[in-house]
Amino acid sequence: MITCRDLTCKYGDFLAVDRLNLDVPSGSICAFLGPNGAGKSTTVKMLTGLVTPTSGSATVAGLDVVRDALEIKKRIGVLPENLGLFDDLTVEEHLDLTGAVYGLTRAETRSRSGQLLRALHLEHGRQTFASRCSHGMRKKTSLAMALLANPVVLFLDEPLEAIDPVTAKTITDLLVTIAKRGVTVFLTSHILAAVEQFATRVVLIRKGVVAWNSTVAEVPGSLEQLYFDLVEAPAAEDLAWLGSARS
Amino acid sequence: MVRVRAVLNAVWRAVRRGQGSFASIGTNNFFLFTAILFQRQGGFLYLIIALLMLFPLSADPLRKIPRERLVLWPLDKREWWILRVLSPWLNPIMWVLAALTVWAVRHAVTWPLLGAVAGLFALGFVLSDVGGGAWDGLARWVPGRGLVKKNLRQMISTLDFWCALVLSIATFIYRFADRTALPEAFLLMSLLVMLALSSYAQCLFGLDGEGGLTRYGLLPLRGWQILLAKDIAFLIVAVALTLAINPLAGLAAALIVLAVGHDPSVNDMRPQVRWRFSTGAPLGNGVVQVFGMSIAANGVARTSVLLLIPCVAAYAISLWWFGRRMELK
Repeated sequence: MITCRDLTCKYGDFLAVDRLNLDVPSGSICAFLGPNGAGKSTTVKMLTGLVTPTSGSATVAGLDVVRDALEIKKRIGVLPENLGLFDDLTVEEHLDLTGAVYGLTRAETRSRSGQLLRALHLEHGRQTFASRCSHGMRKKTSLAMALLANPVVLFLDEPLEAIDPVTAKTITDLLVTIAKRGVTVFLTSHILAAVEQFATRVVLIRKGVVAWNSTVAEVPGSLEQLYFDLVEAPAAEDLAWLGSARS
Repeated sequence: MVRVRAVLNAVWRAVRRGQGSFASIGTNNFFLFTAILFQRQGGFLYLIIALLMLFPLSADPLRKIPRERLVLWPLDKREWWILRVLSPWLNPIMWVLAALTVWAVRHAVTWPLLGAVAGLFALGFVLSDVGGGAWDGLARWVPGRGLVKKNLRQMISTLDFWCALVLSIATFIYRFADRTALPEAFLLMSLLVMLALSSYAQCLFGLDGEGGLTRYGLLPLRGWQILLAKDIAFLIVAVALTLAINPLAGLAAALIVLAVGHDPSVNDMRPQVRWRFSTGAPLGNGVVQVFGMSIAANGVARTSVLLLIPCVAAYAISLWWFGRRMELK
């Protein structure tokens, strides 16, 4: 469902993603993990048509990300890094806009919006302008927009961060359910323990290069330990002044 | 006092940076061309600009620090009071007000003028604190759907719209108060209304922010469709504000203003701050806009309505071309 062949992205002299090769089969949940600045969001941007790759190729739902960018956009749902919301629209108006743009009828949009708002505990804030929403509400709005048009591939950039535990559980259960129905989920996250519970595939990326790529079952030991070993170990800085006598 | 001084320093830095956004007036077509064309005769227009800018300039400086952060700092009651009394003096308008008071005592300015400026300052100061709710109410009242509705809301949160609205209402009143007024006066006024809106057409995406631009990139829409949603909002405002003046001349001018404004809007996307005059493009684009809209409005008003056809054609070509540019970006 998602394939990348030597996919590369350069910003000036900075190599953000270096010859990425990847195959994500239909119906799987692929967790794309790495530290900040590793190239996760750039990869998502290339696969969703927001950034043109410098070289290499990629396909999503059988379509080329450069040549068929518009067709891909019709088939995917995206939760982008910056959430992609308009300050001048309310939560509900964002969903109305999405429904209209993706060709849903008003009745369909209303019905699906109502269900999504209930599932994501957003009902109370449906009339709130995005500029006045909390970060969690903004994230849930963007997620609802990604799901509304019933996409075949879902790209989620850090879907679980800044979300309350109940909604996080709702989201992960939802992702598992739709993956079983054939939807491919490609997500980035920093919450390794949560990802380990529901992802089917794990890709670790470090400085734009893939450090690990396997199914979750093939991960030796815990995902966290593998991450610390291959990607980045925790800092060992001793902040001695913390907790000592105050000056 | 160390804590108060630290907070005041931070507020002062934020106020100074924030005031940089008022520099947008320096590249705004309305200000530039009224200054060039009317020079000393443009007093009424400068007064409108000054009064409109007085509101955002009067904002409470303490608003520059998020309230949640401010209340978390360990300040005692006395320090709070000192902060409350001193912080308004970080606003330059407060010093202007103080100078006006001195001049009023010396009879250099009249007390009513001082009262008017002080009243507007106080209104701006209070509105900056409680105005968010009022804006939400106004924004909800905006008609339309989807992107057009959003674009209308963005447009009315710039001072360009309010300047054009003041001109439009003033002309509307003049039209009914003086039945002997020359039709040429209305043509000129419709051009002035469009001049007030023209800089907005040069930064159509200025208020969308990074999130909005990302969303445009993700929506399965062609570039021209996104641009058209912007233009429909602009045309609705342009026609509504020139409806009682000279709507056909206004429409012709609006089409040309958009056709020319697409270039900087798409190729040089500049961020815009709300409640400021729009940041105009380099002067060359403004000159082309002003000449183009003057010729188009004059032609339609004085020669034939059919001259709207080339205006629509020019607009359509610009929409197609810069729509493609958007997709390539």
